[in-house]
Amino acid sequence: MNATSMTPDALPRQGLLPMPLARSFVTVVLSTIALLVVCRIFAPSSLSWGAFSGSLPFAAIIAIVGLGQLLVVQQGGFDLSLPGAVSLAVVIATHHPQQNDALLFQAVLVALAFALAAGFLNGILVSFFKLNAIIATIGTNALLYGAVFAVSGGVPSITTNLLGEIAGGETLRLPNSVLFALGALALVTFILKKTVVGRRFEAIGANPLAGRAAGLRVRTHQMMAYVYAQLLYCTAGILIAGITREPTAFQGDSLLLPSVAVVVLGGTSLLGGRGFPVSTVIAAFFLNQLSQFALAVGVPFSAQTIIQALALGFGIGVYSLRWTVNVRKTTGTKTVEENK
Amino acid sequence: MKYSSLAKSLAFSVAGVVMALGATSMARAETPSWCGPKQATLALLDGYGGNSWRQVTAGSGAQTASLCPSITKYEYVDGQGDTQKSISDIKATAAKGIDALVVFGDAGPAVLPAITSVFKSGKVIVPYRVTVGGKENENYSKFVGTTFVDNGVFWGEWIKKNFPDGANMLFLSGPAGNSQGLDELEGLKRVLGPEYKFLNPEPFAVTNWDPALTQKVLTAEIAKDQKIDVIISDFGPSLVGALPLFNKQGKSIPALATSDGNSLGCLWHELKDTNPDFKLFTVATGTDNVRLAVQWAVALATDGKAPDTNIFTAPIFEDSVTGQPNAVQCRKELPGAIYLSSELPAEDQAKAIGQ
Repeated sequence: MNATSMTPDALPRQGLLPMPLARSFVTVVLSTIALLVVCRIFAPSSLSWGAFSGSLPFAAIIAIVGLGQLLVVQQGGFDLSLPGAVSLAVVIATHHPQQNDALLFQAVLVALAFALAAGFLNGILVSFFKLNAIIATIGTNALLYGAVFAVSGGVPSITTNLLGEIAGGETLRLPNSVLFALGALALVTFILKKTVVGRRFEAIGANPLAGRAAGLRVRTHQMMAYVYAQLLYCTAGILIAGITREPTAFQGDSLLLPSVAVVVLGGTSLLGGRGFPVSTVIAAFFLNQLSQFALAVGVPFSAQTIIQALALGFGIGVYSLRWTVNVRKTTGTKTVEENK
Repeated sequence: MKYSSLAKSLAFSVAGVVMALGATSMARAETPSWCGPKQATLALLDGYGGNSWRQVTAGSGAQTASLCPSITKYEYVDGQGDTQKSISDIKATAAKGIDALVVFGDAGPAVLPAITSVFKSGKVIVPYRVTVGGKENENYSKFVGTTFVDNGVFWGEWIKKNFPDGANMLFLSGPAGNSQGLDELEGLKRVLGPEYKFLNPEPFAVTNWDPALTQKVLTAEIAKDQKIDVIISDFGPSLVGALPLFNKQGKSIPALATSDGNSLGCLWHELKDTNPDFKLFTVATGTDNVRLAVQWAVALATDGKAPDTNIFTAPIFEDSVTGQPNAVQCRKELPGAIYLSSELPAEDQAKAIGQ
């Protein structure tokens, strides 16, 4: 399956566009447009500029953690240490400075140091000691939460003004956090798609055995996936600290599921292989808009939950449907019925 | 050394005077009436101890117990939000020989069997604040409750006074279906007629008391471009990050009826001049509920005089309109996560939450 998902690039290019659009990209964009149309009809308020400026920062957070999870999923892994990692970045960014702007830079460095340590720990456990990714990262998550309690005692602290301005402010009417997310997207896309390291990274994700046969340093690349992911989680955590003025010490908890959901919605296979950063970020917008829609239609909480679940199922369903059709087209295989 | 212990005991007796609040004589201030002659040991068992509210509560419990010289030992046990651990904590603490247990039964009826077995073994056990089911003298010694309905009534009366012709209200509470929110709604409805309209879906907008979710919920509500006159929330500090959203969308922050918190008070002082509609009314957040529970447990274990009531009512704390009983309080130099309504002095709270 991984090999086939790589094939479109290998095949001679056809069609009007110079480059074929990834089907996942088309799917997630169509789903998003469909959602926006539904919003326009049933909950126009969720499309107002005010609603966007309030909710886009959260979409940006989901996008950034989604990109981190994407890198790990590309290597066939799973990173369940995300809640601890994000929460730790949040509490370091708020507790260390204690509302003193001068200490903010130091706090960011400390948070990054912890992220690197956690990333290497995850990476070494999974790639060198061959531990199951889910088990290793759950363990790391527990360690990270230990650190969260050591730093904060579970108590929220108020953010510094400087961080509030950086993460919660707006540039050219666009929330700064969105700019951070776009920056992260550009960086991840460029490295994955345009650099040697990135190409090797993706190839190893698709087939580690082939990668090893080709003489690539498979374990190092697999390990680094966890390190990059931690750095992105850390960025997200620091942004949350700025966006919510008094974040709790458990702010990462609600991000684990969305991070996996956007990777899947974005069309990346959970078995690893080719990654779709742009689709992942659009999926984050989709997911966020979905929850805003559910809130804006003003139905009871139970109905909100059902709407979200149905729409998410629809998004993934549409994707699976197109996926089968597409594989047949690109590889030219025929079903038994067609052969008759 | 001598001076410091003198100062400490002086501080405690001053706190004792506050506790007794005009009730009795000086002699009683030293040894409160609920503190009897029989020696006993006491433990406070928390179902979940990981936030500032709980830590201030634990500090208040310890301070209350320290007022009674008959209490020879005081322990605090944190269930860490784990029902299994809470159950084994209750049993283990009793097995260790502690005479009196005060239990915050977060898990509700799930901890009742453990409570019952401890009670049957002859210990004093006082569950408080969260209903665990069961009956007094059958499953436990005494239940010390609180009346969230009263909070709703206080908020409702204030809203009625400030918006006599009706108002559009947004009521935010914690997780879906939590009984605190439902009780508060009952209190609100007891006071407010149909001209007071709830904009949120029945029974309340779900925020899980999470500042990020609160921010999202409020974003959606503000964007609907409806007139919000009052926001009612049972956890004021969770709104601190969300309220500036009104300004971002070019509106004034509306009136707010909620529970107190240092960060919220400071936010009000910061934003009141630019937001003409931002009135603030708070009830005490109830960190003193534990005091009544400890008093009951101590009274029963040491043969002291039982308190008059077993229901804690959170008093009104701040009103920015009348300044009665207090104007809005802010201690900028102290952490935002403390509660100035608490009887535990602000500096001690800062210590209790480790800052």
